[in-house]
Amino acid sequence: MDSGLPTLYRPGDSWLHRRHPLTKLAYAASLAVAGFAAPWPAAAWFLLGALTLPLAAWARLARPLGRALLWSLAPLAAALLIIHGLFNPANHTILASWGELTLGQEGLIYALATLGRLAGALGASLLCLYTTPPGDLMTALQQRGLPAGLAYVLISTLQLLPLMRRRAQAILAAQQARGLRLEGNLLIRARALLPAVIPLVVGALLDVEERALALESRGFSRPGPRTSLQAVPDTALDRSLRWALAAGALVTLVWRWWP
Amino acid sequence: MSLANSIRKEFTTLSLVLIPVGMVLNIVVGQLASTLKLPIFLDSIGTMLVALLVGPWAGALTGFLGNLIWGLITDPVAAPFALVALVIGLVTGLLARVGFFRQWWQAGVSGVIVTLALAPVAILIRTYLFGGVTGSGADFLTAYLLQVGQDLFGAVVVTVITSNLADKVVTALLAWGLVKYLPQRFTARFPGAERVIG
Repeated sequence: MDSGLPTLYRPGDSWLHRRHPLTKLAYAASLAVAGFAAPWPAAAWFLLGALTLPLAAWARLARPLGRALLWSLAPLAAALLIIHGLFNPANHTILASWGELTLGQEGLIYALATLGRLAGALGASLLCLYTTPPGDLMTALQQRGLPAGLAYVLISTLQLLPLMRRRAQAILAAQQARGLRLEGNLLIRARALLPAVIPLVVGALLDVEERALALESRGFSRPGPRTSLQAVPDTALDRSLRWALAAGALVTLVWRWWP
Repeated sequence: MSLANSIRKEFTTLSLVLIPVGMVLNIVVGQLASTLKLPIFLDSIGTMLVALLVGPWAGALTGFLGNLIWGLITDPVAAPFALVALVIGLVTGLLARVGFFRQWWQAGVSGVIVTLALAPVAILIRTYLFGGVTGSGADFLTAYLLQVGQDLFGAVVVTVITSNLADKVVTALLAWGLVKYLPQRFTARFPGAERVIG
């Protein structure tokens, strides 16, 4: 894959890197299911601490994973803890109070459980993306029946994103050179929107036709399976891991919703 | 025409090339709106454009995958809201299909209808998945409503509707205007455009 893509993949040769992409996808999905379905509020924290973080450490990715989790969940964590710790109507057991504000145990537990579920699901999917090249994931999914058109849509989005960001910056710079103001009161800032958005959208849409012709002339819409240049090896270990993960997720679901 | 057929008909080479552009426009224009510190998100403009130009299924796919990808590479909170984005694309496309996107005022009313349609989905995700918050500025409103005696669900209903209404109306007007004033030799290639240009 081109290194210019905004992907999370971190090259390496760990045991985790060598697993089949679908095995890692199954890991992310089953951990999310187990974290949300488990009847015990700390289950997701336990799965994160006992499975995802040790696996990340084994692949030498514990530090980036921990940092990404902190960085992306900090605003949500602050909002959850403040809103539920201080304002949840279910709060009856008072843990601390500062003047008007009281910290309630019920809301705090609810906030921590919600945060754990999100952190568990996010940690597992980040670990999957860190150790899987996006091209391999697409090839593996296409071999299992993902339509070629959909695979194109996904990869093409990742490739377009940095290009369009650059174009948006160039348009803003050009309009500013002509006297467009980006600072000021709301009316001034709102007026800057159209001169920035119209050239961006019109330019992007006009490229579409050209790209469609180029794809068409290379047999893009031809039906039938595609042959991939890239082999994605699947092993017996991967297959048994996938069955085990699916069974684990199923067990938690049954445990939760059995009458 | 069966449902499967009407879905398949929307996914031509041209629309498969347009869909990634729509997804990226959601992200880039959304960032532009936050650079300009506007009080609206504008992050469904690409979804609505695709829904108007191609149709409801392509619009739904643009919204759904766009949020999912954005969630995976930058902001994990966005991923579950992919379902909300799917509703935005679907409802916009259906409204255009029945001819309710021809005049500017129809586009504005369509923005209101889209908000009402996405509200149940957004409220459920926000309440039951995130405990009512998303780590954004709108959380202050939720906290205020909880403090003055609303329950969590009621507080989230008010937060979702107020934070989406203006955004979806402006986005619908903008998308309508763009489709209306794009060069005809471009829009003529898309099946949905004639129902907007009228």
